[in-house]
Amino acid sequence: VTATPEPAAVVAEQLARGEDPTLVEIPRKPFHSRAGTLLVYLALLGLAFLYFTPFIWSFLTSLKDLPETTGFDLWPDNPDLQAYREVLTDFNFARFAANSFGLAATIAFFDVFLSSLGGYAFARLQFPGREVLFILVLSTLMIPDQLRLVPVFQMLTSFPLIHYNFVGTYEGYVLIKLVSAANLFFMRQYFLTIPKDFEEAARLDGAGFFKTYLRVMLPLAAPAVAAVAILSFEGAWNDFFWALVILGFGNPDHYTLPLGIAQFKFQYQTLWPQLMAASILATLPIAIIYIIFQRFFVAGVVSAGVKG
Amino acid sequence: MGVFLLLFIYPIGYGIYISFYDWGVLGSQGYVGLANYRELFDDEIFHRALKNTIVYTLGVVPAQMALGLFTALVVNAAIRGRTFFRAAFYFPSLTSSAAITAIAVFILSADGLLNAIVGGSRSWFGDSDTALYSIMALNAWTTSGTIMLFYLAGLQAIPTDVYEAAAIDSASRWRVFWKITFPLLKPSHFFVAVVSVIGALKVFDQAFIVSNGTGGPSYSTLTGVLYLYRTAFADIRFGYAAAIGVALFAIIFTITLVQRLLFGRPETA
Repeated sequence: VTATPEPAAVVAEQLARGEDPTLVEIPRKPFHSRAGTLLVYLALLGLAFLYFTPFIWSFLTSLKDLPETTGFDLWPDNPDLQAYREVLTDFNFARFAANSFGLAATIAFFDVFLSSLGGYAFARLQFPGREVLFILVLSTLMIPDQLRLVPVFQMLTSFPLIHYNFVGTYEGYVLIKLVSAANLFFMRQYFLTIPKDFEEAARLDGAGFFKTYLRVMLPLAAPAVAAVAILSFEGAWNDFFWALVILGFGNPDHYTLPLGIAQFKFQYQTLWPQLMAASILATLPIAIIYIIFQRFFVAGVVSAGVKG
Repeated sequence: MGVFLLLFIYPIGYGIYISFYDWGVLGSQGYVGLANYRELFDDEIFHRALKNTIVYTLGVVPAQMALGLFTALVVNAAIRGRTFFRAAFYFPSLTSSAAITAIAVFILSADGLLNAIVGGSRSWFGDSDTALYSIMALNAWTTSGTIMLFYLAGLQAIPTDVYEAAAIDSASRWRVFWKITFPLLKPSHFFVAVVSVIGALKVFDQAFIVSNGTGGPSYSTLTGVLYLYRTAFADIRFGYAAAIGVALFAIIFTITLVQRLLFGRPETA
């Protein structure tokens, strides 16, 4: 029996070759009859439609007026964007969206910088205790958030040494989401696939460690950088747990979209068109990012699944 | 590296430290030894939260794995539009938990779409008989997309000559799946099972949002992490909450270890 290679490694190679990971053509058994083929496609389209139904329904609802939502007319009588206007202005969602975007972009930036720098160091630098440190970093993947909840919150209320209260601040939130060991591991794996010739050429040109990293390695690892950036952005954009813990008790002006949605649901449970409009607002940007960058997106998701 | 020490390693020690104290809003109120842990043993609400979490995990993990494997096989099959189907099946995993939960609350409300289809007037999240099961159904569906991607990567890692050999033997599709594909996916099964179980034991967002943070009605949606959150931020008992965190971590760690012992290290088939 043939040995099965590590899926995460396969994905890294597919990404490096410019292929769409998980969708590479492999020989498969075609369906025999034409009727059978048609039946299979109908079933699959039906299933895909079922998957989309909640989103279609919530989108249509977001175009309706409140009284209409109790009926089940598929199409709104007077489709308009009133609900979107209201959540964006009256219910502060424009602010929440800006917060979500700013925080997610900041976190993605730091995550790319720190995980690639750390990944590069672990891939190339020889220093004492490297293996121990690397295992230590990977072991942080095993630590569940609930064990960290209380100590991290306590730590943020009065930060060690500087005694600053980070709870409710953007800085505190960014700090907690700064870097992930999974991304560092992914960057390291990708750097390992790059031949050393490039760095040696750079060294002959007199480039130091940092300059080689910035000018040579980072551009060569562009697909991996893209994957980490996209995934990190998505993770922060969708995050509810830490946003709730760190920003949930502070000034509502600091809320992110998921917090805003939860808050809106508590207060105005049945203003369905507005609640659905807010949910669509939170969903759409990520859907667009996925459609444009799916190759990197999928590679990031799958290779985040490394073993701890 | 300092970042990892500060954000991950230090909090563990600090968390265990806090769990030995009576710790309120003003910080430590005194050392209490193992009192917090002793209280956990007799805390019926904690037991209820654990029971909910276990029911949730036992239901959601097999469901999301089966759905994820099924959709992965579909996307990996010799069909047109594989990119479209992958996007369609992944879409629920892509959506923020808050948004998808809000949509689910609307569809499962007393006068929502589901009741319009099946006929009835049950508020699925508002009824203690169905609230937990509704969250389970929602999450099995939303998480199956990520599981699908893991299985897809696993399917693509299977060398093609295996299938070519099967084609020569003209084995049926069903037989190929059970005799070749399913066993060769062993590393994926193991990995997906571990990730799913850990994810399920940590369930929080959906339970928090549907119950407005209370875990109600009558504790039916109170999960382990939600109880931890409530103990810390509703009851302001950080010491006791830290003890709950340590206990939950011990449970997750033990289950992962047992899985590892049962199925062994994922190795070449």
